[in-house]
Amino acid sequence: MINEVTNLVVEALPQVQGYVYPNEANVHPVWSVLIVIYPYITGLVAGAFIMASLVRVFNVKALAPVYRLSMLTALAFLLCATLPLLCHLGHPERNYEVMMTPHMTSPMAIFGFVYAWYLMAVLLLELWFDFRQDFVRWSKTTPGFQGLIYRVLTLGVTDLSEKSVRLDMKMEWVLSIIGIPSAFLLHGYVGFIFGSIKANPWWGNVLMPIMFILSAIVSGIALCVFNYIVLSWIRRKAVDMRCLDAMAMFLFYALVVDAVIEGLDVFHRGFAAEEGFAVLQTMIREKLFYTLNIGQAGIGTLLPLVMLGSLQLLRKRVPEAARRTMIFFSGAMILFGVLMMRWNVVMGGQFFSKSFRGVMSYKTEFAGQEGWLLAAVIMCLPPIILTVLVKLFLSDSKELQPSEHLPEPSAKT
Amino acid sequence: MLPFKLPPQILRLVLVAMAIVGSYFAARSFLVPPSFGEYGWYRGDALGEIASRTPVFAGKQACDECHSEILHKLAADKHKTLSCEGCHGVSREHSNNPDVLPVKATGSHCIRCHEANLARPAWLKQIVVKDHYGPKCTECHVPHQPSKTP
Repeated sequence: MINEVTNLVVEALPQVQGYVYPNEANVHPVWSVLIVIYPYITGLVAGAFIMASLVRVFNVKALAPVYRLSMLTALAFLLCATLPLLCHLGHPERNYEVMMTPHMTSPMAIFGFVYAWYLMAVLLLELWFDFRQDFVRWSKTTPGFQGLIYRVLTLGVTDLSEKSVRLDMKMEWVLSIIGIPSAFLLHGYVGFIFGSIKANPWWGNVLMPIMFILSAIVSGIALCVFNYIVLSWIRRKAVDMRCLDAMAMFLFYALVVDAVIEGLDVFHRGFAAEEGFAVLQTMIREKLFYTLNIGQAGIGTLLPLVMLGSLQLLRKRVPEAARRTMIFFSGAMILFGVLMMRWNVVMGGQFFSKSFRGVMSYKTEFAGQEGWLLAAVIMCLPPIILTVLVKLFLSDSKELQPSEHLPEPSAKT
Repeated sequence: MLPFKLPPQILRLVLVAMAIVGSYFAARSFLVPPSFGEYGWYRGDALGEIASRTPVFAGKQACDECHSEILHKLAADKHKTLSCEGCHGVSREHSNNPDVLPVKATGSHCIRCHEANLARPAWLKQIVVKDHYGPKCTECHVPHQPSKTP
């Protein structure tokens, strides 16, 4: 009897592969393209901040020319990080109520606390201490509305004595040290939100937060490379090749570790071949073929690995212009690849039904609440905010360097 | 007051932080809906608001008042369990005032149930639309009496 039933199941199951039973799934993924760009933006923030921390905490002097640009990049993207989530709500016009009634019973709601901590207690404070001396200086020399902004930003403290400037430096160092685990927490938490869903074999994985952090670091550094080259090109200024080479080196090492961990994850899943592995194979071979194999692995990982790796070996033999172009395109490809990775994570987990047999599809709508037009608009906001921030705070190329915290000669102690 | 003197920039930051926290709680006091938390982590008034919505469906009995002969035909055949408004659209206003036509439901009503799908029980008649004859179901089938031909 048992044998007959077993044979029946073995024969019957492949016949229904791909069908979704009405009681086991939504017709199409409910986490749309907006939920794809949410971890993408958050990752860029964490990555850009971690790269800036290399300057302050680990004293990597070569990266100093991009310190402030990375910090402002992190701020510009962080300000937009919650927008995809708020637009995804059933009633986006009531989104403030989420913030007015915080609670601790859902992982998604706790992200509000993580976000608020990172924005208010880490990023804004560190930026303020780094820029304080400049705010005071600019508030005295800049007229009009812009001068008013600087005067407000000084918070009324104009003391630039040695003692007070030394305190700024100390505070900034302390905040950087708190900032690194906080940046890991910010994006590791996003990974945890997916990784903790244990009923879903595509998501439920302890490696998820680690993969999220590593891909965040990779995408953040790539974004800083991209921004730095674009800013230098707009300003018709020469790129500091020592800085760019250092960024390319860190980008390469981060990408190697990221690729190894993600490869290890695939290997582990394949070797363990647990219950849901068959559907994961379907995902990799069919549903996510282009975005995973070509987008994430090919364009986003292998090509940049080859380009950046060959630069590490042959740096001295490659002319500067070619090096710059190669690093720029590696950065751009990595940015694209990490976006594909977020797509694969978010969509992959929703493309199969709860029995791991049914397969669903998703067609992005254009103009609706969950449409890609809205996603594109949200993705355009951080560069616009960054442009304003750069205009306000980095108008002179010298200001790209971190504050050296030198006291004013005339100030009294 | 304090046994030590706070540096000016730290003092200002503490004041700004207090102002932010203070304004948050001030905003909370009038932005949180008054009935929030009455029964649980949601607006208590929402229950009443949802309950007070005007129904849009009329129900089969209302159709029976004027269209009883169609309902009799329907009751004698396989589609007897279907609701009128499932195909003809919501009709509460139409039942109150026959001049207002029912809000026509969109999409093809027949293939909503009869498109072939392995997940459907075998006794339900199913067709693969692209292999099946004709663009219009009612040329060959009578929805109110599926066993009859027109």
